[in-house]
Amino acid sequence: MNKKVLASILATVLTVTTLAGCGSSSSAPAAGGSDANAPAASGDAAQASDSAGKQTDGKNLPTLTTEPMEITLWDISTEDPGKTNVEGAVQRFMADYPNITVKQTHQQNDTYKQQLVVAMSSGQCPNIYCHWGGGPMAEYYKSGFANDITDMYAKYDHPEFVDAAVAQSTYDGKMLAIPFSGLTGCDIFYNKTIFKDLGLEVPKTLDELEAVCEKLKENNIIPFSLANASKWTGSMYYMYLVARHSGNAEFDAAYTQENGGSFTSPAFIFAGEKIQDWVKKGYFPDGVNSLTADDNQDRALLYDGSAAMMLHGSWQVSGIKQDNEEWYNENIGVFRFPEDSEAKAKGVPQDVEIGTAIGMGLTFNCFKEDGSVDQDMLDACYVLATQYFNDDTYNEAQFSTGTIPSIKGFNENIEDPNNKYIIDEFFKASNVQLWYDQYLPASVTEVHKDCMTELFGLEKTPEQIGQEQDEAMKKALAEK
Amino acid sequence: MKKDNNVSLARAKARSTARAATVFLIPALLLIAIFIVYPVIDTFVISEYKWNGISADRIFIGMDNWRALIHDAMFWESFKHNLIVMVFSILLQIPLGMLLATFLDAGGKKFNIFKIIWFLPYLMSSVAIAFLFVYALATNGGIVSSLATIIQGKRATVDLLGTSPQALYTVIGVMAWQFTPFYMVYFIAGYGNIDTSVYEAAIIDGATRWQYIKHIAIPLLGPIFKTACTMSLIGSLKYFDMIWNMTQGGPAGSTELMATYMYKLSFQQFNMGYGSTVAAGMFILITAIALIFNKLFKVKEDY
Amino acid sequence: MAKDNTKETDYRKSKIKSIIAWTIAIIFACVQLVLTLTPFFFMIMNSFRKQFDMLQQGVFHLPDPWFTENYVTVVTHDFFGYFFRSVIVVSISLVLMLIISSFAAYPLARMKFKLNPFIYAAIVAMMSVPMHVTLIPIFKMTTMIGFNDTLKSLIGPYVAFALPMSVFILTAFMKTIPKEIEESAEIDGCNKYKNFFLMILPLSKSGLSTLAIYNGVGMWNEFAFANTLILSPEKKTLPLALGQFKGEHSLNIPINMAVLTLSVLPMIVLFIIFQDKLVKGMMAGAVKG
Repeated sequence: MNKKVLASILATVLTVTTLAGCGSSSSAPAAGGSDANAPAASGDAAQASDSAGKQTDGKNLPTLTTEPMEITLWDISTEDPGKTNVEGAVQRFMADYPNITVKQTHQQNDTYKQQLVVAMSSGQCPNIYCHWGGGPMAEYYKSGFANDITDMYAKYDHPEFVDAAVAQSTYDGKMLAIPFSGLTGCDIFYNKTIFKDLGLEVPKTLDELEAVCEKLKENNIIPFSLANASKWTGSMYYMYLVARHSGNAEFDAAYTQENGGSFTSPAFIFAGEKIQDWVKKGYFPDGVNSLTADDNQDRALLYDGSAAMMLHGSWQVSGIKQDNEEWYNENIGVFRFPEDSEAKAKGVPQDVEIGTAIGMGLTFNCFKEDGSVDQDMLDACYVLATQYFNDDTYNEAQFSTGTIPSIKGFNENIEDPNNKYIIDEFFKASNVQLWYDQYLPASVTEVHKDCMTELFGLEKTPEQIGQEQDEAMKKALAEK
Repeated sequence: MKKDNNVSLARAKARSTARAATVFLIPALLLIAIFIVYPVIDTFVISEYKWNGISADRIFIGMDNWRALIHDAMFWESFKHNLIVMVFSILLQIPLGMLLATFLDAGGKKFNIFKIIWFLPYLMSSVAIAFLFVYALATNGGIVSSLATIIQGKRATVDLLGTSPQALYTVIGVMAWQFTPFYMVYFIAGYGNIDTSVYEAAIIDGATRWQYIKHIAIPLLGPIFKTACTMSLIGSLKYFDMIWNMTQGGPAGSTELMATYMYKLSFQQFNMGYGSTVAAGMFILITAIALIFNKLFKVKEDY
Repeated sequence: MAKDNTKETDYRKSKIKSIIAWTIAIIFACVQLVLTLTPFFFMIMNSFRKQFDMLQQGVFHLPDPWFTENYVTVVTHDFFGYFFRSVIVVSISLVLMLIISSFAAYPLARMKFKLNPFIYAAIVAMMSVPMHVTLIPIFKMTTMIGFNDTLKSLIGPYVAFALPMSVFILTAFMKTIPKEIEESAEIDGCNKYKNFFLMILPLSKSGLSTLAIYNGVGMWNEFAFANTLILSPEKKTLPLALGQFKGEHSLNIPINMAVLTLSVLPMIVLFIIFQDKLVKGMMAGAVKG
């Protein structure tokens, strides 16, 4: 018996060693491969371009180095069509500047913020990285991972970005990012067929909206499809009601907490009370806090006809189209968040939009070992971000998939009627307020999001959530 | 003279034992030191700083973070959630796993199909589990709400994930669904380790199967049982994956666990210093609870 | 005569009892079967649908119509590349982990030395380390030795993180092995090393297969380390394949379900093959032999 056991052990040990040996040899070439990781496309394209000239010829841009250089770039375009488009921009750039290699990595959206923290804290921050602006952009800048490009932006050519996009790329008077992923509006999508069947008109004021909701309720249709487990979805209602009631002035004040600014000021109380009133009246689905937008549960309510309206970001246009274009064309319309007629009578502007003018921006991290700016690399990054991202090829590709570049003039010629409406409203707006959950400092964001759960869950009063947000905001301001 | 001899013999034996033990232990200890102990020390160091996690300068603030942690209601709230999860995980997963394993052990090979299907939940990834349960528990068209509607004869909503405290218990249920199969397999292996002659002897002595399980198998499985409880205990105190995919700690923090709280602070709110304090506090609490548990339920050991 | 009668009724009683017990057990078993199978079944069903149909008809609805395109998409997006890289990493890590943890468990379970309780407690304590605190230090170390963005960078963390739990389990298993076995071997002149390879290791087979299952599944689904340490798409492992089909706002759930279904299949096949090893270790044979 002993012999048998010994034999079997020997056999196991042998297999193990061969396996292990196998493993180390097979992973060795993988290690070598990482050095030679330069994207394959650069070679052929580079030769062709020398004679053809560069697409940047004749423009007022910094002269780029002819020395070999490697630039690392992180984006979150893991999926087509975005993926092909950003890769195309990088390839066109490398074709024109064959000495510069751009190593592009597509990170996953879910864990992107974590990845950036890990990379930055380990001294491996990419030279170009994308982000959503707002609080985190400020944090990256303050921690020394963002070049100030105000002067370059003033001096050199760049696309004519819309004012809101420039504003959202700026922090503390410094330009820190180049927009590249387009505008996102936020409006109410509605089921045209249901509206037609019930003889409903698109509401212009909050009172009309409530009348529409009542009519829908009578017909056993949930007025709003909302999946508030995601929290930023419920926040859209809160943001708009604040904006309509105060023209967003009260939010700006609450953000600084100066001159009596507070999240308990009238507009916030108005917004909170309105929402809780709507919850009580059954304007939102039952168990609204258990439904999640990440799993498309809000879209599902729209698709099966149990809900008639949905306040959401304009990415829903391409999302719903992708799911079923025919159904989209037949059923989906859009209108802007109705006006507050009382506030309007008092002269409060009703043309504030919620959304983002940059989608995402590209920020540069080009510093030398000693902490000084690596101008050669920064020049190259600037040219890449302004001239290859955001060039005609890039913008047309964006445009064709329903994303509107944050560049003046692109609001013309939009074919999709809903998209056209959304963008027109966006351009008419006197002010575009970035989503609170991206605009507020990160610690306040978390509080704000929890407050949205409690608000829609009727667990806390508008005053209480206002106080909680004030407290978090004061704490965040004190830490600056 | 003879005594001396004995002593030196014992010493020599002890020395050779120590040598053998060192040889066997070194690879494991080395790996653990590099990949776990060092990061833990690092975490404790960072916990003394005010640091956003990315900036080159971090400010030493001594025990300030720790003082804040002691008064941090959020942290203790999530610790409380962890304790609830822990208690129910042990009470659900271990007995259920044992029950399933006993059934399979009694049934033998012909029940293999049960074993394979029962094991499926453990193989599914947390992403898929979270997705399917979010839909199964949805207030609109979810399985639970639909069943309630059928039973009551009118439209009924059962909101299991959107309100506290149900959300936490719901998540505990899903966790039990996911992990019970592992304990099942674990106890099957435990049964497998019991000498078949023990079983045969018991049966010859006229013991029924139930008597065998109660008086022979379960006591013999003592150490295995305790290990399983410890695993479930530690696992539920540092749980992250499925909760993160399912509720992200919501609604309004009612399923917030220490690990999700730590993750949000460290990687989303630019508060790595305090996040590390939470992580370190978590480490201390879990270790303490695990050690207390092991002291309380000391199984007789002999080498 | 009377005595015989009682015996007869006793026998009958116990027979009836046993039938009732088995009936209850079988009912319970079937309920459990439904509970475990339903979500799994719908994971597969939803992978055969279009997103629109799934959302409109409800998730718990059979595919109508059946849609197989998801699988074509998944397979043409280098699924097998992801798959084989996962196989390499997981099998190497698993084998190393099993060897190293059984090495470590042996002295802890069966030897008396001064530091034993201390080392054991220390290893158990390491189980309570939240994995996310190690991300940054491990990423730094990996970059420092130039292993970043390679498959081999995953093996260290995978093995190390599986160790505390595995040593813990295996120690418990090895403790259940009767010490007479070793003693008799020692009398036969076996030293500790021989003992380990000849006696203890083969007898721990059921423990080792539990570990292989537990950690195999864990490593196969591991996301956080893989996501942090590996950047190039041509080196990514299976759990990262999901990311390919997850845009910022465009989550296509059925495709994700297809990826998840395809990744779980090999695990099921392996489990079917290896589940036999769980039952009846070599204990009986060893004692008798």
